Amino acid sequence: MKNIKSFIERHKLQVAIFGIFLTLWLIFYIVNPYAFSNPYTYTALLSVTPFTILPALGLTYIIIATEVDLSFSSIMAVGAMTFAYIWQDTGSALLGVIALLVVGLIAGAFNGILIAKLKVPSLIGTIGTMFFWRGIVLVVTGGYGMSLHKIENTYVQKIFVGTFLGIPSQFIWTVLITIVFWLILNRHKFGAYVYYIGDNRLAAKMVGINTERTLLYIFSLEGMIAAFAGFLVALSLGTVWPALGDIYMLKSIAAVVIGGTPLTGGVGTIFGTFMGGLMLDLIETGILAIGVSGFWIKVVDGVVIVIALIAQALIREGELAKIRRKKEALAKE
Amino acid sequence: MVEESYVIYAKNIVKRFGNIVALNNVTFKLRKKEIVGVVGDNGAGKSTLMKILFGIHKPDRGELYIKGKLYPELTPKKAYELGIVLIHQERTLCPHHSVWRNIFMARELTGRFGFLKIDEMKKRSEKALQELGLISRIESVDTPANYLSGGYQQGVQISRALVFDADVVILDEPTNALSLKEVQKVLEYVKQLKERGKSGIMISHNIYHVYPVVDRFVILNKGMVVGEFWKKDLNLEDLSHIMLSIAETGKIPPEYSKINLAEKPDSKEVEIK
Repeated sequence: MKNIKSFIERHKLQVAIFGIFLTLWLIFYIVNPYAFSNPYTYTALLSVTPFTILPALGLTYIIIATEVDLSFSSIMAVGAMTFAYIWQDTGSALLGVIALLVVGLIAGAFNGILIAKLKVPSLIGTIGTMFFWRGIVLVVTGGYGMSLHKIENTYVQKIFVGTFLGIPSQFIWTVLITIVFWLILNRHKFGAYVYYIGDNRLAAKMVGINTERTLLYIFSLEGMIAAFAGFLVALSLGTVWPALGDIYMLKSIAAVVIGGTPLTGGVGTIFGTFMGGLMLDLIETGILAIGVSGFWIKVVDGVVIVIALIAQALIREGELAKIRRKKEALAKE
Repeated sequence: MVEESYVIYAKNIVKRFGNIVALNNVTFKLRKKEIVGVVGDNGAGKSTLMKILFGIHKPDRGELYIKGKLYPELTPKKAYELGIVLIHQERTLCPHHSVWRNIFMARELTGRFGFLKIDEMKKRSEKALQELGLISRIESVDTPANYLSGGYQQGVQISRALVFDADVVILDEPTNALSLKEVQKVLEYVKQLKERGKSGIMISHNIYHVYPVVDRFVILNKGMVVGEFWKKDLNLEDLSHIMLSIAETGKIPPEYSKINLAEKPDSKEVEIK
């Protein structure tokens, strides 16, 4: 019991977001028990939520390091397009996957160089690259979509967007990748540096952490995972279209922030981001499932985001008051 | 060789920032197991000198010997490896992260593939904090740094020196912006370092904080070493008299010139290339 209490105490934010998630689910369940006891509702949820969560994972690292990336939504389209072309021209899906990962990495590294080496503010810099990559997609495709229907029922489709024991493959991939991101952030030296750069960049530099290289790596990582997410989107819908990825830009950022990673950086969790993404997609699935107009999605999104942020603000305020008390007591000794 | 008898021997260091000469032919020596106080007004070049000794800045001219070896390209990482720890006035702590993470910042103990050895780091942090008598005050090594008062935060930084068994601890204005009681704590930690046989450099513009803990003083003024005294040759009053005179006239009163160890300061400005 004491262990549970101290666990909650240490992970207040994550417990809060989990609580909000359960509450939402309960509301949906009460309103439409039929839809929410139907496994198809959950299959639908788990097959779309990876597209929000995956880019949000890399974004969590970036936001913890007090930077931001807006270009990942365009890099999603670049990744999907790269796959489509390589696969069409060579017939090799494996080559296509490798190519899209490499292109994503390069696009991300380009952001990294801009921000870490050339000291361009990340907000502005990645708005620039967001337009640039979207423009490249439009120029290359001529604004037309590309069909991937020939890939249906191939092993590639089954591996990435099929089902395994009834669970959508893309969700299994997402869970695995989430675990890797969690491990790196919490148990690896690299993750520690990401935190330190966000928490006190000057200190990180002074103790000898290579802040530029770390930033370059996290932007490259985000480029790669965004390209992969874009590929999954295209694969699951059977088409690459020029605006692919657009809707995920604010959604993934929202997932990170709802998950308890503040835009001021320094702290944040992968679990929170995962739950944040899952929650935003639960709202979408839930509202469609209970049969209300889809226009309500944004309204509920807005309400939930605000509630989550208020909860975080209250928790942090409580924390700050506690810190002040402790500090004063220590100083007086 | 004379360089070999010192832990740190910085010879004729020149450092410019644009047209400003921050350090003008400064020679600085640190012996084993001694604590040297570097005092001087704001802008005297104290922090610049320390940043050079820790490899954050590169000197434009001059030689830097550490434990008898010349290091023309010192970096903070290299300095760490050589057993030098810098405790900076802007606390090099991450406020939202635990004490143990802060102690091992950038020098994490890692196992295979760079994964952290968390248990061992916690254990070693706890031991160091125990030695400094800090652990009972800060509850646990998992406490975030921003839960601690300024004095204890400096204590955490100082415990880095114990964890890594550093030989040299550079304290750059460690008592800055601390209340009186907190200053006492920090001075207590510095004394403990000395008892453990470490060498230290303590920079401060406040001679009252430096005096109780050091063996020797080096006085900087406008980028030059103007005075160097053994503590046994001076009492606090003499020192404050000297500092006042430097602030007013830029010179050390003649009655102290006999005990002044500083080589005649080179009054010539270094010519700018």
